[in-house]
Amino acid sequence: MKDADRALVVAVTTRAVFDAAAGDVYGMGVAFPLLQSLQKVNERLLEKNPAESLLFDVVLIATDSQQQSSRIISSTSHYGLEVGRFCFSSREDLVETLVVNNVQLFLSTDRDEALQVSQKGVLSALLGRQEAPSESLRVMLCGDAIVRPDCDPVPASRGAAQSFSARLGEMRGRFGVSGSPLSIVLVTSSGGSKSCGVALQTLRSRGLSVDEAYCLAGAPRGPILSLLRPHFLLGDGVIDLED
Amino acid sequence: MVKMSLDPVQVKELNVSPSPNGDSRASWEEEEVEEEEEDRLGIATKTKPVSVTDLSSVSPSLCFRLAARMSRTQKLSLPDSRFPFQEASDRGSSELFTTSLFKVWCLRCPPVAHQWGGASDKVTGRRARKVEGGVFFPKPENAVTVAVSSRVLFRTELEQRVFEQKGVEEYLRYQIEHENEPFAPGPAFPFVKALETVNARLRELYPQSEELFDIVLVTYNHAHVGIRLINTINHHNLFIERFCMTGGSSPIGYLKAWQTNLYLSADADKVREALAEGIAAATMFMTEKLTEVSESQLRVAFDGDAVLFSDESERIFKAHGLDKFFQHEQDNEDTLLDHGPLKGFLEALGKLQKKFYAKGQRLDCPIRTYLVTARSAASSGIRALKTLRAWGLEIDEALFLAGAPKGPMLEKIRPHIYFDDQMFHVEGAAEMGTVAAHVPYGVAQKHNQPQKPGARK
Repeated sequence: MKDADRALVVAVTTRAVFDAAAGDVYGMGVAFPLLQSLQKVNERLLEKNPAESLLFDVVLIATDSQQQSSRIISSTSHYGLEVGRFCFSSREDLVETLVVNNVQLFLSTDRDEALQVSQKGVLSALLGRQEAPSESLRVMLCGDAIVRPDCDPVPASRGAAQSFSARLGEMRGRFGVSGSPLSIVLVTSSGGSKSCGVALQTLRSRGLSVDEAYCLAGAPRGPILSLLRPHFLLGDGVIDLED
Repeated sequence: MVKMSLDPVQVKELNVSPSPNGDSRASWEEEEVEEEEEDRLGIATKTKPVSVTDLSSVSPSLCFRLAARMSRTQKLSLPDSRFPFQEASDRGSSELFTTSLFKVWCLRCPPVAHQWGGASDKVTGRRARKVEGGVFFPKPENAVTVAVSSRVLFRTELEQRVFEQKGVEEYLRYQIEHENEPFAPGPAFPFVKALETVNARLRELYPQSEELFDIVLVTYNHAHVGIRLINTINHHNLFIERFCMTGGSSPIGYLKAWQTNLYLSADADKVREALAEGIAAATMFMTEKLTEVSESQLRVAFDGDAVLFSDESERIFKAHGLDKFFQHEQDNEDTLLDHGPLKGFLEALGKLQKKFYAKGQRLDCPIRTYLVTARSAASSGIRALKTLRAWGLEIDEALFLAGAPKGPMLEKIRPHIYFDDQMFHVEGAAEMGTVAAHVPYGVAQKHNQPQKPGARK
């Protein structure tokens, strides 16, 4: 039971969740590990508090007319995925659909799609490739965005990012330091250790405690990102995980 | 550029009687002195004839060949069978280092007079360029990356105890509570400071170059400790702009991602993991006694076997004893030793040294390297030096102790760090105030366990 006001609504495109395949049931797509991790977080939250209202509410959005609604729904139940809602929208109406459904985070494998959404003020991110299911939901935050509050122009999704991360922090706070199903990872790409320190303090003041922190100071991101394997990366605009 | 002359005239002065096999004393004069040594030295030598007692300006290769000659001629016909050495002026001590034939202290270049400690030089206080936004940080592949853990860079014993006794939550709470109290310097601190000094000098000479030391803090600490660590870095004016706080997962993958040239940690298991991945690594321990080290010159000392070289010879020694070891080394004198885990780091140091030499700063080079080995100069040491030479690696001073304790020698050299594969030597060095790092590699690990329980983690 997801309280509409309290739940963290995360929308994922069906194209990311399911791979086109023959037969009645779709294959597992890139976003599969993500959904499983989101579910795990919910389970653990409810374990701690059966009346918990701060949960992930997953919305599947199909913009791809190639995928049939009936197969989407049957595949979802086949895999036992917990999905709150299904939305079938056209590409043009995507942003509106997201807003109407109170989506706080939109995840896609399509860069253009994610950008389009982000520019309209809805927090959006690209999905990271996960080879194996990870133990926890790994959310990466891009520290450079946090440290540069006054860039011009201010990204449209800035406000959405801040409120999402505050809620995420609240959720993280439900668990202890070790064994949490949710890990927050901070990465600053440019700037030295001082600016990473500022990012840590800023996040803390917003109620978000970070588990891991990496300060790259200009070093190439690729090798570190491939080790960190986040499910998605939040920053200003949409950031490519494949550097 | 001033050149040092390896003029055999110096050698001629040695008063050696003819050996029984009829070799004249001048035989090694005729032997070709390695010309390749000449252009590396670039130091003016005394032009006055040098007495038999002064071998301080002779290269190690020439020196060991002298010693080798001596040993092979069987009769030690030297006056008093000694190689007394001129005191090194900056050592501050006036004792002569006298030895039997098997202990030879070879100096390739005369030690440079440096002030000990204190504000000796123009580079203290000069900070490297830190420009936020237009950031000038070297690319990992161009830099010599030294990764240090928080527990060797700083002193965290108190916090460790909190962790061990009260668990991780309490530990983190404690850290956050004391966030504005910087940690005290740990065993790797002087070494890191010395790296920064070298960087300052490199930047002066090569302002655009990325061939610098890059110090990365790699800790499996939780990011909650991050603010305290960053505060501490700022407090001590350290130039550490890169770090990984892995929150409990293994840092080894990150070492590779940073193209780490050397990893220093308090955790022997992590160090072993790193070595297994081909990364030079060593375990460091806090010592109570710390002798003062130079603030203007980085000094790095290495053991030979199982550190710079493989442990193949050590295996023979341990299995078959000293005589077999000597025999084996002699038989294989011309076979190169296989490389050890720290060869790459010595190589990296050498590359940076050459940058100073190229600008005519050999005499004033802020990096100095030492080989401190239990091998002996006249016999087993030859193979070591030949191997180094074949690898194209230069080492500034080679000290062949022939089994004598290393502590006193290290106390004279005062390196910022000394690498050895045997805990016995690491502890011996520490007792005399040298920061020694243990390289847990090779056959010695089965034989030498740490004496002190505190050396564990």
